[in-house]
Amino acid sequence: MSDNAGALASQKARFEFSRLLGLTLIGVLLAMFLFLSWKTTTFATPGNMSNLARQGAIFAILALGQTFVIITAGIDLSVGAVASFITVVVAMLIQSIVPGIAEALAVVGIPASAANMIGLWIAILAALLLGMAIGAFHAFGVVQMGLPPFIITLATFTALRGVGLLMTNGSTINVTNDAFTGFSRGEIFGIPNLFVVVIVVAVPAFVYLHLSKYGRYLFAVGSNPEAARLSGVNVKAVTATAYILSSLCAAIVGVMLASRTGTGNATQAIGFELEAIAASVIGGTSLFGAVGSVWGPLLGAFILATIRNGANLMNVNSFWQFIITGGLIILIVYFDGLRRQRR
Amino acid sequence: MSATQEPITVAPAAAASVPILELRKLEKRYTGTHALKPTDLAFEAGEIHAIVGENGAGKSTLIKLLTGVTPRTAGEIVWQGRPTDLSTPNQAIALGINAVHQEVVLCPHLTVAANIFLGDEDTARGGLLRDRAMVRAAQKILDDIGFALPANVLLSSLTIGQQQLIATARAASRGTKFLIFDEPTAYLTRQEAAQLFALIRRLKREGVTIVYISHRMEEIFELADRVSVLRDGTLVGTRRVTETSDAELIAMMINRSIEQIYHKETFTIGAPILEARGLSGPGFTDVSLSVREGEIVGLYGLIGAGRSEFVMGVYGRQRCSGGEILWRGRKVAVRSERQAIELGMALAPESRRDQGLCLNLGVGLNINLPVFDRLTRGVTIAGGREREAADRQIADLRIKTAGRSALALSLSGGNQQKIVIGKWLNHGAKLFIFDEPTVGVDVGTKAEIYRLFGRLLSEGAGILLISSYLPEVYELADRLHVFRGGRQVASHGFKAASHEQILTEAIGV
Repeated sequence: MSDNAGALASQKARFEFSRLLGLTLIGVLLAMFLFLSWKTTTFATPGNMSNLARQGAIFAILALGQTFVIITAGIDLSVGAVASFITVVVAMLIQSIVPGIAEALAVVGIPASAANMIGLWIAILAALLLGMAIGAFHAFGVVQMGLPPFIITLATFTALRGVGLLMTNGSTINVTNDAFTGFSRGEIFGIPNLFVVVIVVAVPAFVYLHLSKYGRYLFAVGSNPEAARLSGVNVKAVTATAYILSSLCAAIVGVMLASRTGTGNATQAIGFELEAIAASVIGGTSLFGAVGSVWGPLLGAFILATIRNGANLMNVNSFWQFIITGGLIILIVYFDGLRRQRR
Repeated sequence: MSATQEPITVAPAAAASVPILELRKLEKRYTGTHALKPTDLAFEAGEIHAIVGENGAGKSTLIKLLTGVTPRTAGEIVWQGRPTDLSTPNQAIALGINAVHQEVVLCPHLTVAANIFLGDEDTARGGLLRDRAMVRAAQKILDDIGFALPANVLLSSLTIGQQQLIATARAASRGTKFLIFDEPTAYLTRQEAAQLFALIRRLKREGVTIVYISHRMEEIFELADRVSVLRDGTLVGTRRVTETSDAELIAMMINRSIEQIYHKETFTIGAPILEARGLSGPGFTDVSLSVREGEIVGLYGLIGAGRSEFVMGVYGRQRCSGGEILWRGRKVAVRSERQAIELGMALAPESRRDQGLCLNLGVGLNINLPVFDRLTRGVTIAGGREREAADRQIADLRIKTAGRSALALSLSGGNQQKIVIGKWLNHGAKLFIFDEPTVGVDVGTKAEIYRLFGRLLSEGAGILLISSYLPEVYELADRLHVFRGGRQVASHGFKAASHEQILTEAIGV
């Protein structure tokens, strides 16, 4: 009997611990919101809130994709470069093929705006597929060639910028399609479109990671690939999926960036990969693999976005933002380590 | 509970026989568990003192207390007649207390010499290492104790057994007076074990006190002067090995007799499940054997004899290069582990830490890993079925865990092994391959595992049992195949050959 009671008690304790970090992160976010609302008149305004939601959205999606890879005990350094490369691709596609498609469809009698939307979706889907192909390339390097994830993604990290620059001859492509550039400024029921994209990505990500067998396999592969393999898990396929999903998320961010800036440029999103890793780690993902969640990197990304936004509003020297972010990473990961030890 | 203070009387007349180390009411509590209840025990200088007990009996706690890794809760540790603090590892090392652990805790990427002198390097002025001098000194140490091993190669180029010998040489070379061995032979071949025993006897002659912890009874009787038995954190008793028997020790450890451990039941033998015909692959050549319903087929040999390699070939982990596999009479080519599992094979691999478990994940996830397919409804896992499947095995196998979400690494060796086996019971396999299922497992859990074999056989399954512990395969296997150097060198029926004959075949003398 007493054995049972002890087991129950410790199970309950574990349950509370696993929620604790989530609560800590929400607490940190709330505290920052309260502090900034009190200290500034400009923070808690609808305009700033949607601005914050847009800023956070970009990193939230990158960090989420990154988390899948980190759970397998890998790393994806290419996400910033992929996003930047995709801005070029999607901008080129929109400028070159969308008008043609729209014209062709108009001939069949489809209204001009609908024809334009169809053309845009074709361009976007093509860009996302290309993103997945880049992820498949990473997966090939990791599972077939046996390269360390750091190396294969470091290679694309530099090479893709070169490819993008070659394609544009070093220049910037301006997107003149209003429907496309208008998307990033638009809202649905007062929620910025870019934030809606986060939800659209996060819901299936949650089902995948936390509710499906593939999520369980991802953790198992991150913990001990040999044990997973001998238990019948297709380790190569599971690992490959993580890289493909990470690049897909980066491609989605590329499309969002192109819409937001109205340009395709191979030198955007510098340093985004580190921001994404930071957001993921702040969100409780372990760089040793097998520990992570969907809500963690999302919260981590919005915490980082709030720091940046708040610091701007309070006229804090932007250089300090980097220092604050660095300090926060150490603090949060340290406390997370303490939490794990207590288990 | 306060221990009553007894007046400590020192008898000067008996000064010559002052124990080198004495525990007085030594006690250790962790939150929630009483790992070591107040214990009195004296180690005589220059004796080999074996300690036996089931997992969780308090042996590890005792080692940690003696090596200063963990502080005691109450009681005294008396070193050569003087109470000592012994609350840090450095204090233990300063006194001359060292330990050799079951798993090698050295640096694989450094040379043998660098490992032997790790933390105690020979440096010239300015802090530069005198590498060549260290290699020479290390080689001398190895030569002196009769290990034919080179000092200038990377540690990782040696076998695990050889690395274990290096760890022992390292401990022995540092002015050790009191040396603790924790299951040192778990990964050693017989020759390596023999070398280790020779070293231990030599250290004893030099006056070093040895504490020897092992599950292997025959080693204790071969080596030790006295043996102490721990059970549930209590010292049950200490015996001279000449005045006891393994039956008595086992009874002290578990309150159960030896016949109940190797509980051999016979079942009607049915149709062949697996037949290997002239199977060859990486590390094994021309192996022919079959496993039928209701029987245990044992594979005996030294570590590295090709037994694990053979089952990895059967299981699809390694590609076979020749011969054929028949599964229930039909010829099959097993190309992947998943295919093997779909056919109805289950593997509890040799190393539970490296191959069997996702240590930093939950017990439930580990148990369910092979069957998530079946727990899935649509795209998501049915949470209720998942919990139920895990809890069923935890209850059936009596896995001691705080719950299905407790991390696998928080469990003892025996309970971890139950997870490795339990993950296949929900799967319902036809052929169970157990590779060294009882290494580092206490006697009580061993008996439970053997009883489980009976249950599986009665349900019409077949078992392929690999063991380096001869009594285990000898007492349990209906047929026994002996492996040496990647080849099957002999085959016997149930107890059809003597221990000596089988050993000779395995060693090849």
